[in-house]
Amino acid sequence: MKDDTLAIHGGFKDDSSSGATTVPIYQTVSYAYKTAQELADVFDGKAPGYIYTRIANPTTAALEARLTELEDGIGCIATSSGMAAIASVVMGLVRAGDEIVAAAGIFGGTVSLFKNTLGRFDVKTTLVDAADSERFAKAVNKKTKLIFIETIGNPRMDVPDIPAIAEIAHRANIPLIVDNTVTTPFLVKPKKFGADIVVHSTSKFINGHGTAIGGAIIDTGSYDWSDGPFEDIKQLSGKAGQLAFLTHLRSLIYRDLGGCPAPMNSFLMLQGLETLPGRMAKHCENAKKSAQFLRNNPKVNWVNYPGLPDSNFYNNVVRLFNGHGGGLLTFGLGNKQKAFKFIDSVKLAKNLANLGDAKTLVIHPSSTIFHEFSIEDQKKMGITEDMVRVSVGIEDFEDIRCDFEQAIEKTCKVEK
Amino acid sequence: MKLVLNGKQINCSASLTVSELLIEQKVKMPEMVSVELNGQILRRHEFDSTILKEDDQVELLYFMGGGN
Repeated sequence: MKDDTLAIHGGFKDDSSSGATTVPIYQTVSYAYKTAQELADVFDGKAPGYIYTRIANPTTAALEARLTELEDGIGCIATSSGMAAIASVVMGLVRAGDEIVAAAGIFGGTVSLFKNTLGRFDVKTTLVDAADSERFAKAVNKKTKLIFIETIGNPRMDVPDIPAIAEIAHRANIPLIVDNTVTTPFLVKPKKFGADIVVHSTSKFINGHGTAIGGAIIDTGSYDWSDGPFEDIKQLSGKAGQLAFLTHLRSLIYRDLGGCPAPMNSFLMLQGLETLPGRMAKHCENAKKSAQFLRNNPKVNWVNYPGLPDSNFYNNVVRLFNGHGGGLLTFGLGNKQKAFKFIDSVKLAKNLANLGDAKTLVIHPSSTIFHEFSIEDQKKMGITEDMVRVSVGIEDFEDIRCDFEQAIEKTCKVEK
Repeated sequence: MKLVLNGKQINCSASLTVSELLIEQKVKMPEMVSVELNGQILRRHEFDSTILKEDDQVELLYFMGGGN
């Protein structure tokens, strides 16, 4: 089946008991068995079965199967949030004393997890400029257990050379983790370019309507867990084969951290996936038009959209994403005061901390998502005080343009 | 036709697809099983189209249960 079809039909055949064509919401904590032996066998891994929704749930399993298909992976674990997905993956790989190498321009929450939370457990993270792949090679040492990048750094908008970084990771015999939240499998399947694990915040484009928080972990099947520096996963590979890492998460890390999604939220993600191909196309089209409009407006100081041909990352966008630059852009009007005034002046766009919604969203990253970092650290992460981030929605472009035009006019009138 | 299922040699009908094997072997909750064919995980949508051959090594894996 092709991807557009898998988005609708993947991972689920009509419900065997009722014939329902939409995945039912199994809103249950637990699952009853007739005999003590049956439940004991499921706990022992001798028989299939659901035990407890913190570990697995039929609605969530359908979402996991569909995401596995769309990312061309071997298995998936859905989580309660994108951060739960990243935390589960990384905590499943690192121990105290280990190191992480990550791209500098990634989501502030991920940086905080790596630097602040995991820093408390003696895990060191080195952030490197995603535009220069060789910096990853220089930062990797014997203690490094993984490399982490985003397909498009949010909000720095840099597009790392995934194949080159994958090669660096594999030379060091460590996995490359790629966050595909802002591009989704409809712009890029990171497996094709060497990713070993793909993570998502499904709350964004996959959900598409700002109705539920969720995340996902997909093992692409590319990394040989029987031969890595992860002793416990290596031992599991004898029994679980290629699924050793996901088994390690499902039976230990993910189970113990408790980051499972609510069945209702898994249902909402499945609904979102059905329309994702069409929405992504429209997000990209509107974002490109918005970037061109802002670029041509003399009151706008700068625009950063990787899908513009003069972007430093346009070649990677063409090579990795078939020329689609995604639905996010950033721009600046010169200072923080103007950024705030613009955000206060938009009428259609919503000022909120999210992206990938059908609606156009704006935010001032410096004072919100990155507020816990100093201005100096923000600069290193590519955040400027005048930056406005836009998640361009799928409304009619003319309405987005008119809203931005009137907000820019209002902003610049105050300055006079 | 002979093949190896979870390490044990079994006899099954000739030219079975993976989906048909799951039915013939009365595998419980087939939607929960991951199938490794000769060391490679099969994609779920390939279950219907993948035809098994003599001496294939098939592993049925349940990584959903949490008790592994």
